[in-house]
Amino acid sequence: MSSLEIKNLHVTIGEKEIVKGLSLQISSGEVHAIMGPNGTGKSTLAMVIAGHPDYVVTSGDVLLDGKSVLAMEADERARSGLFLAFQYPSEIPGVSIANFMRAAVQARMAEGEELDATSYYKRLYAKMDMLKIDRKFTARSVNEGFSGGEKKRCEILQMAMLEPKFALMDETDSGLDIDALRIVAEGVNALRGPGLGVLLITHYQRLLNYIIPDFVHVMYAGRIVKSGDKSLALELEAKGYDWVKKEFALANP
Amino acid sequence: MKSAPDTDTLSDREIEEANAANPVAGIDQTRGDFKYEMSYEFDAGTGLNEKTVDYISGVKKEASWIRDFRHNALKIFRSKPMPTHWATKDLENINFDKIRYYLSQGQKPKRTWDEVPDDIKHTFERLGIPEQERKYLAGVEAQFDSEAAYSNIKDVVSKQGVIFANSTEALREHPEIFRKFFGKVIPTGDNKFSALNSAVFSGGSFIYVPKGVKVAQPLQAYFRINAENFGQFERTLIIADEGAEVVYMEGCTAPKFSTSTLHSAVVELVALKGAKIQYITVQNWANNVFNLVTKRGVAHEEAEIKWIDCNIGSRLTMKYPGVVLKGRKSRGEVISIALANDGQHQDTGAKMIHAADETTSNIVAKSISVGQGRSTYRGQVHIPKHLKGCKNNTECDALLINTNSRTDTYPAITVRGDRNYVQHEASVSKVNEEMIFYMQQRGLTEGQAMSLAVNGFINDLARQFPMEYSVELKRLIDLEMEGSVG
Amino acid sequence: MSAPSPLSVLSHSPIGSFAPDVFASHLASVGVAPAWWLERKRAAYEKFAALPLPKRTDESWRFSNILGLTLDRFALAAPAKPSLAPFPVPHAASLTFVNNRAIEGGQKHGWMELPAGVVITTIGEALAKFPDLLRSHFMAQPQKLGSGKFAALHTAFLHDGAFIYVPRGVEVPAPIVITHIAAGPGAAVFPHTLVIAEENSKVSVVDTFASADATPQFACGANDLYASHGAQITYIGAQAWSRETMSFQFNSTVVRRDARVQSLNLHLGGRQARHESLSQLQAPGAFSEMLALTVADQTQEFDQRTLQIHQAANTKSDLLYKNALRDQAKTIFSGLIIVDPDAQKTDAYQSNRNLMLSEEAEANSLPGLEIQANDVRCTHGATSSRIDPEQEFYLQSRGIRKEMADELLTFGFFEEVLNRLASDELHASLRTMIQTQFTKGPRV
Repeated sequence: MSSLEIKNLHVTIGEKEIVKGLSLQISSGEVHAIMGPNGTGKSTLAMVIAGHPDYVVTSGDVLLDGKSVLAMEADERARSGLFLAFQYPSEIPGVSIANFMRAAVQARMAEGEELDATSYYKRLYAKMDMLKIDRKFTARSVNEGFSGGEKKRCEILQMAMLEPKFALMDETDSGLDIDALRIVAEGVNALRGPGLGVLLITHYQRLLNYIIPDFVHVMYAGRIVKSGDKSLALELEAKGYDWVKKEFALANP
Repeated sequence: MKSAPDTDTLSDREIEEANAANPVAGIDQTRGDFKYEMSYEFDAGTGLNEKTVDYISGVKKEASWIRDFRHNALKIFRSKPMPTHWATKDLENINFDKIRYYLSQGQKPKRTWDEVPDDIKHTFERLGIPEQERKYLAGVEAQFDSEAAYSNIKDVVSKQGVIFANSTEALREHPEIFRKFFGKVIPTGDNKFSALNSAVFSGGSFIYVPKGVKVAQPLQAYFRINAENFGQFERTLIIADEGAEVVYMEGCTAPKFSTSTLHSAVVELVALKGAKIQYITVQNWANNVFNLVTKRGVAHEEAEIKWIDCNIGSRLTMKYPGVVLKGRKSRGEVISIALANDGQHQDTGAKMIHAADETTSNIVAKSISVGQGRSTYRGQVHIPKHLKGCKNNTECDALLINTNSRTDTYPAITVRGDRNYVQHEASVSKVNEEMIFYMQQRGLTEGQAMSLAVNGFINDLARQFPMEYSVELKRLIDLEMEGSVG
Repeated sequence: MSAPSPLSVLSHSPIGSFAPDVFASHLASVGVAPAWWLERKRAAYEKFAALPLPKRTDESWRFSNILGLTLDRFALAAPAKPSLAPFPVPHAASLTFVNNRAIEGGQKHGWMELPAGVVITTIGEALAKFPDLLRSHFMAQPQKLGSGKFAALHTAFLHDGAFIYVPRGVEVPAPIVITHIAAGPGAAVFPHTLVIAEENSKVSVVDTFASADATPQFACGANDLYASHGAQITYIGAQAWSRETMSFQFNSTVVRRDARVQSLNLHLGGRQARHESLSQLQAPGAFSEMLALTVADQTQEFDQRTLQIHQAANTKSDLLYKNALRDQAKTIFSGLIIVDPDAQKTDAYQSNRNLMLSEEAEANSLPGLEIQANDVRCTHGATSSRIDPEQEFYLQSRGIRKEMADELLTFGFFEEVLNRLASDELHASLRTMIQTQFTKGPRV
């Protein structure tokens, strides 16, 4: 049983403060959704937990199983069990998916331990089949020339291969048509279980029809302003974000 | 040095007056095809030697250091070969012995409209400047041949401590300000034509903007060549002190002559810490003019220099505005539009010399070649070692209108170290035939459609010009595109 | 107005070690040869001796280390017999030259039977058997990229080389491998490979260049590729001279109607290495794909000059030159696309990508265009940058350590070029060569 704890987190990029005192706790087996209008700091939250060097934590902490990850490099955090499914995954020309995943799996093994190629490919192909990704994709460069849906499926494929403790999914539904969305959601649902905690970041309620969250949080102006169960998402859908903004303005005159 | 006034800005009325004093707006370019007789009181004759230099210096009653500067420049000019190992051989058609290097209407720039000679007033009339604007024209540093015909806007800006004078006056009356930077951004020996200018310069604008002063309205100068075989060698130096801001606009038109004329200017800009200088040019010399100009600025810490350069006229233009990014976080930009029609070669571009960390430069160049016109982009981007966080982005797009139109691109990029980022992209294309057909189907002639397409091609750059210039630009392009099709 | 920097004074002799008496002794060693051949060599020597060394102000030598160009202290290489490792790719035939001489008497030996009519032999033998072909194709194209002097030196002192002829409609099923070796201190070698592919034929040639030892050597080589109507040539040049070697290599490619030439030049060795590549697209449908990969480290200088000339309508060229720079290495890419006035519907592309891997490396790019036809698609691009930090972060976010991420991205940078090769075997062998240089190469 693992926990991911975000404690009163403040984050700046450049001179500007984006996240302004956000706290949240996620345990294994839980799916949390963070919803909120654009520009409210949702993606910043995902990037800063993953350790992007452009984002600076000015105060607060992020703890994985009680241990702060803030001093760790991005790769160390990843090996500790954090996974970020990017909103805009990078295109990596010349690096095939097979080589890339192999390097990532190998990086999680002990020094001197060799990867068993046969079982690696067997596992890779199984996950690809599950996500309806053509096996030929293994030879293609990572994300290069992929459609929006292919990129997102490739993110889920990596998540499936790397078996993180916590997955941060940043706008995974953006740019997907309904069929692609269903495939991605099925993939995530297949990975759901007692060993995985998920933080879904989304602007729209749509994704939550497919991946049913245990908790829903509303983020606005750099912090969580409302929390509830999945019914909160439906309420947001019905009332829109203006309702949240008004409440926030009243509470913070 | 004059001290800055209490307020940085001018009154609304002053701004209105200054804005109205734009000599370029309203000029009917189709009526530039004339020559007006002038009586040249001071004329250095044709050809260039030590005596010409002494004559110019004598007429201007210059200090001995300037005379020495000119003589030294003449030596350098003679010692330098024509740069035809990289530039066009057309340069060899310049006959330096047949050029008049100096002539002047009189010694003192005219200050009021009444003092402006009638024949010059007449020339303005021919240029189509509306009656009601003429009284404001006294506020413009307009250069009729070598000397400024009149200047008055300086009275307005001098209230802010701004010095706005011609080169002779500035070097005589404010050497403590201008000598320090004169010939330092562009050394005499930078190239053959900067040396020529240094030997025989006259006219041009020297501007000093004191610390923190933001000049609200663009300062303007308006140059013409109006004598056969007469070279014009104006010299401009603009210094923006710390935190100062100034926009300078330079527009040219010229009567058409049968034999070659030469225009060879030097423009130096100095933007001290946090200062901003924007220098806007619309060049529309007659098609027999060699326009060989050296323009460069030095940007100190967090300063910004932006060249907006549009070349439509001349037989051959060679001009590569540059910025030396000397101070940390300084920025340099060149926006360039060139249009080359039959018999024209626009050889233009940009230079960005990075000399400090976190400096940024941006070059956007668009050219249009019509008929047998030739446009050339030549660029230099240099990032030496041990710098970090420097960025350059260069985009060059060329549009070819006719089957025999020509374009060239010759960038040179040097980058050292792994902490900088440089990107250059260039493309060549023709006007989309479907687009032309679409417009024709809506009733436009092919020529009109072509004009619209060309204006669309440069639209994003033209928008960066002040309104009156971009209107002018559009009209010039319409004129140039006439007869390019069919 | 712009002006180049002032002249630097040169102290090197314009002929250096290649004095008239050296030429005379070389001619004497040539043996029986047609008169026209000897005459051509004499004329070339005169041209070489008369032309000055490149100057700072020569545009075609801009950014080059002119002072490093010396012809001193070299000697015509004497016969030698070093031990050699074979090129690890299944091949149809091979020819090996050590110090300008074919070993094993010029015998070819292949892993498979050659189709009838295919000729793979030495220039010496071709002079006797195919003089007309040699006469019309050997160094027959203009020198437009600045090295007229050194190309003349090549013709004057060339002792032997490879001659490949593929008749009409014939496909050679596997690559032909040519190896040029320089052995011994000061050895001057003049490698040559001539490929003539007749109508609708298909051939793939691998030209490799290596030193038997780490001494300073001089290489002045050329390769002429001629693709007749509908022919397809794949040419790989793998340059791995010693790190003390000064190297010149001149390529000329002629592409006729509907023919297609793909060339990939890999640059690894040499102290100062200049490569000039000229593609002439002479008839509609011609396509030239020009690829290069350079791994530059220590104080190596790689100077690459290219010219894509579109002489006919509906022709295509696609150039991708990638340089990875470490330590104090320096690269120059100077490319020009010329579209002649009648070459409408030209499709030309030129791209130079420099991966900066150290603080002191220097990359120079001069991507040029001269376009005289309006209905064309011509673009070029040049970038110089370090590894993309966003890509690096993406890899790190998957748990891959930074060093590993950078290595993957660097190889990804090379793969983009290698992926253009149709042959997996060639792809793999070139990748191995790069990896060896990159991961085990000496570092300063």
